Amino acid sequence: MPLARKPLILLLLVVLVTGMSCLLTRSRKVDFNADIRPIFNKKCISCHGGVKQKGGFSVLFREEALANTESGKPAIIPGKPDESELIRRLTIDDPEERMPYKHDALANEEIKLLRRWIQQGAEWGTHWAYLPVEKQRLPAVEDKWIRNDIDAYILHRLHQEHLNPSAEADKATLLRRASLDLTGLPPSEAIANAFLSDNSPAAYDKLLDQLLASPAYGEKWASLWLDLARYADTRGYEADRGRTIWRYRDWVIKAFNEDKSYDRFLLEQFAGDLLPNAGEAEYIATAFHRNTLTNDEGGTENEEFRTAAVIDRVNTSWSAVLGTSFNCVQCHAHPYDPFRHEDYYKFLAFFNNTRDEDTESEYPLWRHYNSADSQRLEKVVKWVRENESEKRAAELRHFLNTWQPAINSLQCDEYVDAALVSSWHAGLRNNGTCRLPNVPLEGATELLFRYGTMRPGGKWTVTLDSLKGPVVASYILPNSKGQWNLGRLKIPAIPGRHHLYFHYYHPGINNKEETGVLFEWFRFTDPFPGKGKPGYEENLASFIALMEAKVETTPVMVENPPSLFRRSFVFERGNWLVPANEVEPDVPSVLNPLPNGRKDRLGLAEWLIDKKNPLTSRTLVNRVWEQLFGTGLAETLEDLGSQGLPPSHPELLDHLAYTLMNDHQWSLKRFLKTLMSSATYRQSSIVLEEGLRRDPLNRFYARGPRIRLSAEQLRDQALAASGLLSSKMYGPSVMPYQPEGIWLSPYNGDKWVMSEGEDQYRRSLYTYWKRTAPYPSMVTFDAGSREVCLPRRIRTNTPLQALTTLNDSAWVVMARSLAANMSKKGGASVRDQLKWGYEHLMFRKLDKAREEALQILYNEALQRFRREPKAGREILGIKETNGKEQPELAALTVVANALLNLDEWLTKN
Amino acid sequence: MKPKHWANKPLSREAGHRVLQHFTRRHFIRESAMGLGALALGSILPGCLGKKEGNPLGMDFDPAHPMLPRAPHFPGRARSVIFIHMAGAPSQLELFSYKPELAKLDGQDCPPSLLEGKKFAFIRGVPKMLGPQAKFSQHGESGLWLSENLPHLSTVVDDMALLNAVTTDQFNHAPAQLLMQTGTPRQGRPSIGAWVTYGLGTENQNLPGFVVLTSGGNNPDAGKSVWGSGFLPSVYQGVQCRSAGDPVLFIKDPQGMDRDLRRASIDAINKINQQEYEEYKDPEILSRIAQYEMAYKMQISVPGVMDIADEPAYIHEMYGTEPGQSSFANNVLLARKLVEKGVRFIQLFDWGWDTHGDSAGNAVDVGLINKCRKVDKPITALLLDLKQRGLLDETLVVWGSEFGRTPMQENREGKQMPFKGRDHHAEAFSIWMAGGGIKGGLTYGETDEIGYSITSGKTEVYDIQATILNRLGFDHEKLTYPSQGREFRLTDLSGKVIHPILA
Repeated sequence: MPLARKPLILLLLVVLVTGMSCLLTRSRKVDFNADIRPIFNKKCISCHGGVKQKGGFSVLFREEALANTESGKPAIIPGKPDESELIRRLTIDDPEERMPYKHDALANEEIKLLRRWIQQGAEWGTHWAYLPVEKQRLPAVEDKWIRNDIDAYILHRLHQEHLNPSAEADKATLLRRASLDLTGLPPSEAIANAFLSDNSPAAYDKLLDQLLASPAYGEKWASLWLDLARYADTRGYEADRGRTIWRYRDWVIKAFNEDKSYDRFLLEQFAGDLLPNAGEAEYIATAFHRNTLTNDEGGTENEEFRTAAVIDRVNTSWSAVLGTSFNCVQCHAHPYDPFRHEDYYKFLAFFNNTRDEDTESEYPLWRHYNSADSQRLEKVVKWVRENESEKRAAELRHFLNTWQPAINSLQCDEYVDAALVSSWHAGLRNNGTCRLPNVPLEGATELLFRYGTMRPGGKWTVTLDSLKGPVVASYILPNSKGQWNLGRLKIPAIPGRHHLYFHYYHPGINNKEETGVLFEWFRFTDPFPGKGKPGYEENLASFIALMEAKVETTPVMVENPPSLFRRSFVFERGNWLVPANEVEPDVPSVLNPLPNGRKDRLGLAEWLIDKKNPLTSRTLVNRVWEQLFGTGLAETLEDLGSQGLPPSHPELLDHLAYTLMNDHQWSLKRFLKTLMSSATYRQSSIVLEEGLRRDPLNRFYARGPRIRLSAEQLRDQALAASGLLSSKMYGPSVMPYQPEGIWLSPYNGDKWVMSEGEDQYRRSLYTYWKRTAPYPSMVTFDAGSREVCLPRRIRTNTPLQALTTLNDSAWVVMARSLAANMSKKGGASVRDQLKWGYEHLMFRKLDKAREEALQILYNEALQRFRREPKAGREILGIKETNGKEQPELAALTVVANALLNLDEWLTKN
Repeated sequence: MKPKHWANKPLSREAGHRVLQHFTRRHFIRESAMGLGALALGSILPGCLGKKEGNPLGMDFDPAHPMLPRAPHFPGRARSVIFIHMAGAPSQLELFSYKPELAKLDGQDCPPSLLEGKKFAFIRGVPKMLGPQAKFSQHGESGLWLSENLPHLSTVVDDMALLNAVTTDQFNHAPAQLLMQTGTPRQGRPSIGAWVTYGLGTENQNLPGFVVLTSGGNNPDAGKSVWGSGFLPSVYQGVQCRSAGDPVLFIKDPQGMDRDLRRASIDAINKINQQEYEEYKDPEILSRIAQYEMAYKMQISVPGVMDIADEPAYIHEMYGTEPGQSSFANNVLLARKLVEKGVRFIQLFDWGWDTHGDSAGNAVDVGLINKCRKVDKPITALLLDLKQRGLLDETLVVWGSEFGRTPMQENREGKQMPFKGRDHHAEAFSIWMAGGGIKGGLTYGETDEIGYSITSGKTEVYDIQATILNRLGFDHEKLTYPSQGREFRLTDLSGKVIHPILA
């Protein structure tokens, strides 16, 4: 009875197979990160997570998910899927009850996974990026293609994807690729010739060493960091006035050039001021966190914008160094990642005790003395050390360098016939009064203060604790003639903290509206030591001269002394006006703990660079990889958290992070050399059919990178190739040619004044960066406005870019210069000149097809300029002719303009 | 070349025409060198650039010609969109939302029930109620209520659908503007104009498909992200044009270069780029070729379109325009010209509507009135002008902002403000739409008697977006694009088409 038996066998088979598969699946443990979190994040968390917790249920943290919901019982009972409300609500028929509410039901597979996961205990898992970086085991793959460890990881994956790596790129391509990657410029003729003529196996290695040693290296890599540091030359907001902070930009360039290890690089920027024996350079480094915006607008609340700057420091720290978008935690627990609302404010507390208060002068500022004054300062400090103490000497040094600690006059309140003028400075009218609250006098016997008045003879009286209180000081203010003056007053030693009341009286002021005096800051201290000793007068004079010296400055971080300590609070829903619980500085518990218990910015910096920090090294590795290959190993540079894309090669990412810290000791140059020595990097970027089909975006690296150059690289490359580039480094930002009408800031008279001489042709990172109106071609090619940290530039391809490189006068000038060189250096024949031009740019021979295209263009242009000499002169930018026309040079200029627009020139192959 | 005039063209015929155009183009490019590359690519990349889930059209998507017109999901009622965004949030209580009861409460303390558990941008403590600072009356055959601040607009209410119960969940400008324009309060998603040009391409290949014009002295608070392309290909981002100076930066050839020579130079560039493509086969090269062609075409067409000087005097009178100036009125007239030329999406931002009452210019009884004077006439002229040209039927005009303003007077830091102002109000505000398949003379949605909370017809920002897409022929749930491992859409996980206002 074969017919009857068959179904039975089939049935048996089915039972057997399903049984086995059940056994198999049962035995496998569900991976929370891989299987469960994606379901939660996609289907549940928008209503049951950080922002909303509908029904009192959240799947963000385990204890929240297992807690009682509004119904009074938990929705997930570990080990008991059938008793778990979660499963019931996912599977019920009633559309009012079935979750996700008003959305498609979960797939059966998903529900099965959730069941099994609950059955297995509903364990939570840590997201990959928050796990410690560990030494990786190299994949077992052997091939002669492999040059270093990187290639093993890449090849292993390529094999899985049934792809093969590409051949090595030709030397010319490698030369240009490496040079653009390391220096942002085409190689110098000397370097190019040396490499192209050297056929030894070590040639490439030598090339990398030469490029890494070039000062242009620091300029190239600084650009990346300046995006993260939101470095700009203006303050932002409505008026967007200028800011002198270029010394920080120069510090970054130098740090890259001297290959300052990344941990030290971070340490100095986050807490240089708190390092032992911190000097000018360490303070300039801290300007990293003074690139925040300052609001000069009248009527604004300074505390609001101080707080905004502190919040920006938190967000920037996370974006730039930790590759995590922490911003959402400002208002509520992170909707997807294990950060709690109060974690944000604990972190903020690290930054909440600096002296900056959104003042108009952007205090605190480092005062840059010239060398004569620096020597004087050392003498004064020595005097204080010898005549009082080491401690006092350090205090005075700090004061001369920073004018800190001082109390800003914007702390004044209780204004009567007085006001915080323009929300900048306390100003008093005749008979006006105000209060400087809660001043730590602590027995100080001298008051230093900065004030301005146009009126001689005004009397300023300071009383203690009330307007009628004992007089602390009474002083006739000398006329400062509209300038700021420094004043010094003896005051009686009064212990403790007090409110000081100010009264201003001037017999000659009748106008009730006239502000008689403005104050800027106050410092309560003690008199200069050593009175009566020989040399005292001279040193005191030096001290005063230094204090008053007109010097250039840079905004820096200066920590509050204990007497000016600020408490930190959680802000309800991120609103700074609604403080809730007080918090102490700390880091999120899901990450490594503070390494030495130190709860200040220095402790924070040490935490960032602790090898146990899982994010710092991964973030840097990912960024550097993106610079070379066009995409990060985890594509979302800005977010390694669970909302970001998982890395394409997680083991490689961790291998690189581990070796960066442990083998390369955070040396970026060594790290770059390793990356660029890999066969992976050295591949040709020709897209093979198979690669295009299987991996159109090149996420598996079966070919070399092919990416459009950055805004800076494009302009710098063109300047270099046209022979215009200035090699001048450092200094104030410059203003190359820019069309009219770009700068339109209200309440600001600043003008774009075109720089002269070689300053027009400096590398792009020296271009003046105005936040509300950045240099147009930079923006067109995807640079940001630098108002906040830009963790990733998204490359675009638009007609506006074509219009820029075709028509921007700055680019026309470069084409002229390139044409002049083609004519001068290329040889006598047009053909040779075209060849020279192309080869000068691309380091490879001009082929027939290209030559023909250029020749046709040349001929057409030549005909036109012979026909219309005036047009030729215009192309060459020549106003008057001395009888000699140059139609050939004009035609070459048109060709040069085309060369500077070729895709292969705009692209790193 | 004479621009096509689109008036009265039956839309079904147009849709058929588009399909035809598509095939003709395919036929044409097969002959050309560039087309070869594009076609080869189409066959190589079925999963990436051809028929893919994220492609709303289910037909070949040609990276070398990303802006070619494409048919939507179903025949749409609108062909183009003019979205006028008043950045800063005008007060609905002085313009569209008639609240006589609020007048009676003027000066009284705000009842605690309105404040409990609420967050405001600036209001602290207990503010006072502020009665409407404008008179309202009924207009048109529909009897639609409008304030005296908009005397011109009052004459065209029968063409407008007024949505008085729009709501958002963002009460700060930048995030709220982003939500309105990109469907999320954070940066990085495509703007509605980008979605639309991605879905429909554009009619005129010599002009950008998505043009942005700004006025009021500042860009919107959220910056250029509100017309960005997010994860969509960057060709779909808005192109910012200026109504004074060069309409687009670097649009002019260098002195001494004429059009023929520019053509010759772009030919040389693209020939070499094509050569490079043959070697490298990187689709990005084709994209570059397309961008250079587009740049060339823009150089021809943009200066002409952006010049309003040749408009007749009666048009200038009607709009209140002054050629050569930078003004909202000029931008509105430009919007009409762009629609005429087949530009798909025109986004206007006018800055300066943030009437907090911290200065006379920001007072609802002073500054707001001045702002209204500058926009009332040109917006009205736009509707009339489109109508007389037969274009209103196929042009969807949207007027709106990121949120509304509170029925309470702002009391920043708990203090009396020097002028009459209102704080940001996310819970209820007003938007209107006209033309492009929208029913006229209709008010949809109501708020309570003081304009604080919605009582009926609640309209989410996503509903506005869904409705705009619907009028263009899209199912907003199906106009998607894959990014970060999932399909994204403008309306995120929400959005309902507002059927009662559809014609």
